[in-house]
Amino acid sequence: MVEKKLEKIIFKQDLDRLFEESLKDFTVYGPIEKKGNIVFEKIDKSDNLKLNYLNSKIPPKSVIFPQTETLFEYEKKDDEIIFKESNNVGKKRIIFGIRPCDAHSFTLLETFFSFGKFEDDLFLKKRENTILIGIGCNTPKNTCFCTSVNGHPFKDDDVDIFLVDLTEKYLVTPISDRGKELIEGISWLNNANKNDLKKSVELANNAESAIETNLNLDNISEKLDNNFYNSLWKEISEVCIGCGTCAFLCPTCHCFDVIDEEDHYNNRGRRVRIWDTCQFPLYTLHTSGHNPRSSRIQRCRNRILHKFCYYPQNYDLIGCVGCGRCIQYCPVNNDIRVILDKFQKLSEEEEEKLLVA
Amino acid sequence: MEDLQNQNQKITDKIREISTQLLEEKEVDLIIGYSDGTFPLSNLPVFIREVDEVEKLIWNNLCYVNLASYLTSNISRFIRKEESEENLKIGLVAKGCVARTIIQLSLENQIDLNDIILIGINCNGIINRKRIEKEIGEREITNLSVKGGDIIVEGKDFEEEFPFDEYLMELCKVCKIKAPPQLPELSENIRGDSQDISDLHLNFDDIKEFEEKSPEERWEYINDLLQSCTRCYACREVCPFCYCNLCFVDQNMPQWFGKTAEIPDIISFHLIRALHLAGRCVGCGSCSSVCPVGIDLSLINRKIEEIVKERFNFVSGADLTTILPMNTHDMDDNQNFMLEEEG
Repeated sequence: MVEKKLEKIIFKQDLDRLFEESLKDFTVYGPIEKKGNIVFEKIDKSDNLKLNYLNSKIPPKSVIFPQTETLFEYEKKDDEIIFKESNNVGKKRIIFGIRPCDAHSFTLLETFFSFGKFEDDLFLKKRENTILIGIGCNTPKNTCFCTSVNGHPFKDDDVDIFLVDLTEKYLVTPISDRGKELIEGISWLNNANKNDLKKSVELANNAESAIETNLNLDNISEKLDNNFYNSLWKEISEVCIGCGTCAFLCPTCHCFDVIDEEDHYNNRGRRVRIWDTCQFPLYTLHTSGHNPRSSRIQRCRNRILHKFCYYPQNYDLIGCVGCGRCIQYCPVNNDIRVILDKFQKLSEEEEEKLLVA
Repeated sequence: MEDLQNQNQKITDKIREISTQLLEEKEVDLIIGYSDGTFPLSNLPVFIREVDEVEKLIWNNLCYVNLASYLTSNISRFIRKEESEENLKIGLVAKGCVARTIIQLSLENQIDLNDIILIGINCNGIINRKRIEKEIGEREITNLSVKGGDIIVEGKDFEEEFPFDEYLMELCKVCKIKAPPQLPELSENIRGDSQDISDLHLNFDDIKEFEEKSPEERWEYINDLLQSCTRCYACREVCPFCYCNLCFVDQNMPQWFGKTAEIPDIISFHLIRALHLAGRCVGCGSCSSVCPVGIDLSLINRKIEEIVKERFNFVSGADLTTILPMNTHDMDDNQNFMLEEEG
């Protein structure tokens, strides 16, 4: 039995047709340039689309987990309180042109938001209604290290449909069932030929070998756990200025704060969820005034441990996708690759050196 | 113009020489300086405690962090000696604006000048990384260097030159104090370069164009400038003058300010922070250099500097004797902002 060839081809000039005809039932988000930064925003046409981007500044998690998200609004009328819940949950979305590292972050976020007894309905429903159309990463950056954290510039198993940029056209590979369904419904796509597939494999190999960083993360979870009190954390946090750049640009960071805003004069208000980060002292400040992570040493340590120790312990996954944004944009170049390497290379003697107090 | 590479090498040599001396003679416990970062356009602040680490210290035109940030009270607990209460003696690689920060922080009673030795350097300017990144766009930069009077940016299949003078940080373009200012009270603290500032001619021509705009246009500019802010607070955290234990924007019992990333909340944060820096900001430009989304706050900083100069004839970080204008009240203060404008 001959298996039906699934790979298709779309020419770059046909992207508008794709958006206008075939994806018109969806709200499509793609990488565009806004004030000098690549961000994922709503697109109608392919005009502004920057599919040859290196990677976006703001990770595409913001499409379904925005920095500011109104959970509900209310209005007081006489004796009545009228609630208005967030109503964009059911919207059918497509994130078009997401990089494999960022697509993998969706898998990690989903794991987090569905873990344990309390599922985050808001996130999960939006995730369920979002189709990911990924694109292979032909030119990884020098800060990229996806291959060290179980990723690959052409990893396609986190997306529904995977594209590969073959210069004048894209190779289109349906991955998930709903990806297959969507592609089957687009009758005007041509089948891919052998050369297209061959070129795609070549590009994947080139991309892989372009990644210069090769981190040894064997047993990193245990290593970090065993060295919770190591004095190295002092050295590592010394340079940190304590901003939230690493967390806010991280595709896997997911911490948030919930705040109530009341507009007394107009008898209305809202509950909002906003991004928060363990790098801010306020994040762990108790009402009592006690702060269990009062020092920068503790806060710096937490970020690394959450990704490389707690994530593996809790979900059997590494909580980092190797996109390199925290390296690229850290104001003081506190490079996570260097930090991990330092722990990996701790000698027995150095493992004895502990933090004072 | 002397070749930038040569200049940088000379400055690097001087930093290493003075640092070695200071450590060898145990005049300081620690040197805070700059080192090469892990990728092009990056720069890593370093803490040097041993003579054999001095080789890590460098100077180039990417040394954008104001190192005095590491001294203010938020961070000082990490550099204080562990058991004794005595402060560490610190050698600080100091371009003009870093030295000015030290002067200002001393006036604000945040640091003790007896603890600090300034390794003075005659700064030749900081490159506007964000602007270079914008010009290069979605192409990978593999190397950045300076040669003659140009910045050379290399990638896998391109090489582009940018005139150094034009691609400096906006505040570096108008900077008049390149090296630690020569003040009588500070003479003991400076090793290396310093600058006579007795004949300082400040002018604010660079912001005239902005000032001539209508209030609506200026408001539009501020709105547009801050659109992409993520409230990561890198600007605040890198700022040596943002040392409050609890920033106004973090006050949450009760909440003083909106915490969302919506534009009214973003503007409240930035403009109120700007007011808090009046008469204090020394125009080091670190806030603009570190912003991950490339927001350049120079214009706001300059405007404040101008107002303080005009109203109170005060230049922050250039004076160790004047009472800070924002810390005192004088009946003769120029307070015409409290009156209706005439005509």
